[in-house]
Amino acid sequence: MIALPLVAVVAVVAALRATFERNTARKLPYVNVLNFAIAASIVLLRDHPLSLVAAAAYFVGSTLEANAIASTYAGARNQ
Amino acid sequence: MIPALEIMFGFIALVGGVSAALILDYYGKLISLGILVAGVIPFIVDRGYLDVAITVSLIAPIATIFVLRVVRRADA
Repeated sequence: MIALPLVAVVAVVAALRATFERNTARKLPYVNVLNFAIAASIVLLRDHPLSLVAAAAYFVGSTLEANAIASTYAGARNQ
Repeated sequence: MIPALEIMFGFIALVGGVSAALILDYYGKLISLGILVAGVIPFIVDRGYLDVAITVSLIAPIATIFVLRVVRRADA
């Protein structure tokens, strides 16, 4: 019962730190923390077999997104 | 979902939307868009539309990757 509010608090803290971080490269680890917390909250919100698939899909999609932004940013900086 | 959780996830979505409007850096804008989607997904799941949540969480990164190609071209 306490797990879901705890994960939501982690998500709020990660979102705030990602928003108020000045350096763009340092935002990305906080976005990853936010994505992990949201994937956990998807599983904890609903007691349904498909929620596992939804959490896996969100995890894969958000990790792909964050890594695509990170690799493009790193490539743009190196040029 | 209890009201405190609704406030927290809504706050995440709101922070993502406001920062996407205010941040001027291209990459920062895309990161804020990711925060916005992260705040919206728990509301879709809470109503029970799990298939919609699966579809949104697979299509939103593809949209971001297409926008990223435009950003790369504009930045170079």
